[in-house]
Amino acid sequence: MADDVGSIPELDQKKYDADEQVKIICLGDSAVGKSKLMERFLLDEFRPQQLSTYALTLYKHKATVGSKTVAVDFWDTAGQERFQSMHPSYYHKAHACIMVFDVQRKITYKNLANWYKELREYRPEIPCCVVANKIDADLKVTQRSFSFAKKQGLPFYFVSAADGTNVVKMFREMIKRAVDYKLNPSDFMDEVMEELENFDLEKKEENSEADENGLSKPPQQPGSTLRLIRPARVRDQTFSGNSNSLAFESSDCVAMTRKSKDNR
Amino acid sequence: MSCEAKRCGVRFSPPSIVLMYVHTDTKKMRKRIIPVRNFSKYSDCSVAAERLKNHPRHRDYLRQVPQSQLEKLHIILRDHMQGSSLEDILASFRLDPEEDLNKLDDEELARKKGQMDRLFERNRKRTDDPDFVYDLEVEFDKSNQEKCSWDEESDDEF
Ligand SMILES: Nc1nc2c(ncn2[C@@H]2O[C@H](COP(=O)(O)OP(=O)(O)O)[C@@H](O)[C@H]2O)c(=O)[nH]1
Ligand SMILES: [Mg+2]
Repeated sequence: MADDVGSIPELDQKKYDADEQVKIICLGDSAVGKSKLMERFLLDEFRPQQLSTYALTLYKHKATVGSKTVAVDFWDTAGQERFQSMHPSYYHKAHACIMVFDVQRKITYKNLANWYKELREYRPEIPCCVVANKIDADLKVTQRSFSFAKKQGLPFYFVSAADGTNVVKMFREMIKRAVDYKLNPSDFMDEVMEELENFDLEKKEENSEADENGLSKPPQQPGSTLRLIRPARVRDQTFSGNSNSLAFESSDCVAMTRKSKDNR
Repeated sequence: MSCEAKRCGVRFSPPSIVLMYVHTDTKKMRKRIIPVRNFSKYSDCSVAAERLKNHPRHRDYLRQVPQSQLEKLHIILRDHMQGSSLEDILASFRLDPEEDLNKLDDEELARKKGQMDRLFERNRKRTDDPDFVYDLEVEFDKSNQEKCSWDEESDDEF
């Protein structure tokens, strides 16, 4: 059954609720090296699943954290970043975020602020880090301090996808933080979204398709507190019961719809 | 057959890809001219590059040439077939650090990435390099780091 806000039919995002599953997303401008970093970390394991309709690439990875085996899904954008904004389903249920810039291009560093803002609208609390990539191009940059990460209180890594410097260290630490966050979540976005969906269903009771959508929870009281903590972007969404169509109804899904048209 | 690829380029007429390589046994520099067939100004350069890379007669020679570079050479050939001047073609690949690459379409972006690949490939450590370390870690001394100029004018921006 398709998931609520993460309404990508091929992907059941509900699985990310299971203990041994985490979702880690990559953010950053075009050509900063997001995909090369993934490839360098995964090496032979590297078997991405292209969901070109959604301008999305998925990399699956098995990691060991402590004594546990964890299945990690890395979400990488495949062109959606060019709209300077990602579809909400990209952020949905993410447990950690890797933000990348290119040390050779100032604009990609400046844009971190926008990416970070959007991330925090959807995922106010998940662990996040800032990655300065391509240091092989000019090692002198490692003698500079980049204040953005410090200001936001985020871990910062100097890396190179080309020669491998600190790539594995960064990924391992982020996986660990994603797992820790999962055991100890400090925000309630997903719950809020589920409540909202139920609330909407209740309103639409007359032509309800609740069963068909697999939403069997009893309708919630439409509490006003829920509305208050809805973040701005989410408020503008259409939370219809028909989750499959959601991706194409919401106002800011430009990237996905455009891309999918291209591919038809 | 064992050889080391040194440089490659294009020849417009007849459309071909030119490879300079050194024969490992004889240490002699040689030139190989590979005609590009079934290729027109409407062709898909990425498909054509892949086809060439896997071509049974040429693949041994092209093993060390990244596919992205072959794609770039095909783009040059194709742009030329479409009537662009060599100067314009080369400019379309040039990297401008100020340019916002988010604004480019797929093909324009592929050109820039193709250009970036040159440095990437040069600095790349591969798994079959004898000194390859999977989890290479380097600590950079934070104590005497200077402020990056990118932070200067915009202290309150973030
Ligand atoms: N020198 C160097 N180039 C890199 C590095 N990582 C990526 N690149 C180059 O940057 C280009 C864009 O990388 P890519 O992973 O496609 O960027 P993405 O759009 O963020 O996924 C690649 O084609 C590489 O040529 C790096 O660590 N060092
Ligand atoms: Mg990419």
